[in-house]
Amino acid sequence: MVGGPLKRLHNWLKSLIRSIFRRKTEVRLGLYGPTNSGKTTLANRICMDWIGEKMGKVSSIPHETREIQVKEKVTIEKGNKKLVFKLVDTPGIATKIDFEDFVKRGLKKKKAKQRAKEATKGVIEAIKWLDKMDAVLVVLDASKNPIDQVNVTILGNLEARNTPVLIVANKIDLKRANAQKVREAFPKYKVIGISAKKGSGIKNLYNELFELL
Amino acid sequence: MDEKLKIKFIPYEVLKNKRTRDLISDLKKNTIIIVDAKLTPREEARLIRAAMKKISSKFSGIELNSLELSEIKKDKTWSDVIKEKIIEIILGKKRGMTIIGPADIIKKIEKDPTDLLLFMK
Repeated sequence: MVGGPLKRLHNWLKSLIRSIFRRKTEVRLGLYGPTNSGKTTLANRICMDWIGEKMGKVSSIPHETREIQVKEKVTIEKGNKKLVFKLVDTPGIATKIDFEDFVKRGLKKKKAKQRAKEATKGVIEAIKWLDKMDAVLVVLDASKNPIDQVNVTILGNLEARNTPVLIVANKIDLKRANAQKVREAFPKYKVIGISAKKGSGIKNLYNELFELL
Repeated sequence: MDEKLKIKFIPYEVLKNKRTRDLISDLKKNTIIIVDAKLTPREEARLIRAAMKKISSKFSGIELNSLELSEIKKDKTWSDVIKEKIIEIILGKKRGMTIIGPADIIKKIEKDPTDLLLFMK
């Protein structure tokens, strides 16, 4: 856990220099969140709406996205304004990965072990990429308890890097979803309720992106 | 995970200088670690990354949760906030508590919100 003030100063200077120089050439918009919160469904929705193609495969089995996926030059429009960014879909962050969970969901033992191995690498990559983001949509499942350590860790890390954040309370089409609960859990942040699957609230999200980036 | 359950209390000042892999090694030996401060987000992320590198059929990762004293008190005045910041600078840590444990024996650690509840499997 070796850290110290010098390391902190180094990290701060690094993120400052990066933010000054990168903004001129490219903007990276990251999708972060725990597993199965609908990050790839949202990425697909954004890509389908603006470039007419999907980004990745979605599944109800956790850790479907196990590698960073990047879609270059996504352009969204609002009146005369245009916003161009790189959309980065990241694997869901988790503190534990048990291959037995995949077996319970019907995967063969060998495949489950392979998926678990790939998933661990995905989490490591997602954490590494935190440093590369210019802005992040933290996608949470609004039907679950928002005060989860993974969510707190993601938000804390983005705050430590001064990365602009918008919380997306996804899956508001579900009966037990409660976007208000997400707002109450994270009062410091702007929260937008959407259903990436059904498309509700998505226009509101696009408008907010112009504020975020 | 044949070893007996152990609980280790580590002062934050000691933990800060401990190598992450040593912590993971403790966690792999059925040890629950309790720290007298809230870890920084970067420390939490480092711990998660280190845990991911060690995941195997015998170690499925970690559970962690923490309490921060400043989060518990509601309706804080400006003087409370300044006081907390000064104390934080003097102590060099966020006052609170962190529990880290192996996910193979801990089901979850829940914030209550003023207590930490540890549920064993």
